[in-house]
Amino acid sequence: MSETAHQDHIEKKAFLVNSSSLKDVRSFCREVFEKLQIQEDLKDELVLAIAEAAQNIVKHAFKNSASPTELMVVQISCENNKLQIAFYDRGTPVDPKKVKHREIDNVKPGGLGTFFIQEIMDAVEFKDGKKPWINHLVLTKQL
Amino acid sequence: MTYKVDEIDNKRIVHLNGEIDMEVSDKARNTILPLIDAGHEVHLNLSKVEYMDSSGISVLIESKKLAEQKKTKFELIEVSKPVEKVLAMARKFL
Repeated sequence: MSETAHQDHIEKKAFLVNSSSLKDVRSFCREVFEKLQIQEDLKDELVLAIAEAAQNIVKHAFKNSASPTELMVVQISCENNKLQIAFYDRGTPVDPKKVKHREIDNVKPGGLGTFFIQEIMDAVEFKDGKKPWINHLVLTKQL
Repeated sequence: MTYKVDEIDNKRIVHLNGEIDMEVSDKARNTILPLIDAGHEVHLNLSKVEYMDSSGISVLIESKKLAEQKKTKFELIEVSKPVEKVLAMARKFL
């Protein structure tokens, strides 16, 4: 946990649901974390977790075939040193029971992104998406 | 992402540059795996990779597995700090 008091802040941005947007998602997160003065090492980890979650939307919720205008929204908020990152998308509804990283002794690729998210964040929660959204993922981390 | 391949005898030294994410991981995969498949020793230099996510780690896992099947070598020779951090997190999978 950080000893620095981070200012309360909220910011959100919409991105097209495709793999080319992942770089933009990372840039957006870095900009917000700069404003929040989050320490460099933690910033890198948080950017990775957020990019992996966005990648899961492109890859799994839309199976790499979203329409060219389809959007996902990333919202970063910080309140009382608690960081919350929310994702909204209109892809296939996610069954939280099926979202898991693979077993450690299974050396096949895949499932690593979910493992990274769970390693980096304090909590990962799937909530009911309110219209027009279908999926609403919330990642939290105490700073 | 850009890449360069140096050839020394049966060794292929692959230098990757830039960011390796889902968008470019196929390019990395298609650069490395054919070299291993052809029986070359592949030495991977990631010292100029500024960002790598699970897509990049998957390429490393696939490369290692293929090298084992082909009874050749696949080694990381240099890694940048960002890659080192991701590798440390993924270590239990490698």
